[in-house]
Amino acid sequence: MTVSMGAPARARLTVPSDRELILERIFNAKRERVWRALSEPELLAQWWGRGNRLVIERFEFQRGGHWRFVEHSDHGVHGFEGRYREIVPIERIVSSFEWDGMPGHVLIQTLTLEQLADGRTKLMSSSLFHTTAERDGMLKTGMEGGSNQSYEALDRLLAKLD
Amino acid sequence: MVQCSAQLDGAFAALSDQTRRGILERLGRGNASISDLATKFEMSLTGMKKHVSILEDAGLLTTEKVGRVRSCKLGPRRLEHESAWISAYQQMLAERFDHLEAFLERTKGK
Repeated sequence: MTVSMGAPARARLTVPSDRELILERIFNAKRERVWRALSEPELLAQWWGRGNRLVIERFEFQRGGHWRFVEHSDHGVHGFEGRYREIVPIERIVSSFEWDGMPGHVLIQTLTLEQLADGRTKLMSSSLFHTTAERDGMLKTGMEGGSNQSYEALDRLLAKLD
Repeated sequence: MVQCSAQLDGAFAALSDQTRRGILERLGRGNASISDLATKFEMSLTGMKKHVSILEDAGLLTTEKVGRVRSCKLGPRRLEHESAWISAYQQMLAERFDHLEAFLERTKGK
């Protein structure tokens, strides 16, 4: 589904499922420049805060690395953080994303950069939200087995310590 | 597939404003009167009433008159409600893209 939000034609919002949101935007810049704006903290700090002062508290730009950005505005402080799951230079950044105001509601964001023939760049952001349904499904299918395995491992460890 | 326009638009408009998002965050920590909120956000009582009524229309907040004070609390459609959170998130993302675009424009050729 494509939803018009009064945004210019260069932007597109799609909701392919009830827990995924895709936002696409075409930028008038080559892919390398867009990549630098996303991956270099001194450049990121100049736009990520949406006009608010941004403090980059952590920026471990590698797989498994922790990021934490804090916006400081007149109305308060908003902290955002997550971990990088996958980084493919100039192509893709996958990370978890959590806002301090909604602790525990972690979503996975995938940013994909595509160089267009006319020199512009399409940036696609796909955000995958957790839902209760998904959580319930996970509990049913894997978690019980997973915890049993963990308990077995703990049992083995404790047996060694005896 | 989500009926995006029907499900998200009310909360989307209500949450497009930073002050209104701040009000909900504040109410998440406990109820407050309109004058408390006006003081906290350094705003006139009239201005705060306007924000409160937009949030109330979206179901994100309810008010109750206790004596002479109008007390505000989170509404039936709480920010915890997934669709409201998704729309707030989507708004933030769109704002970030706006600022990225402006940044790329002003650093052109540098």
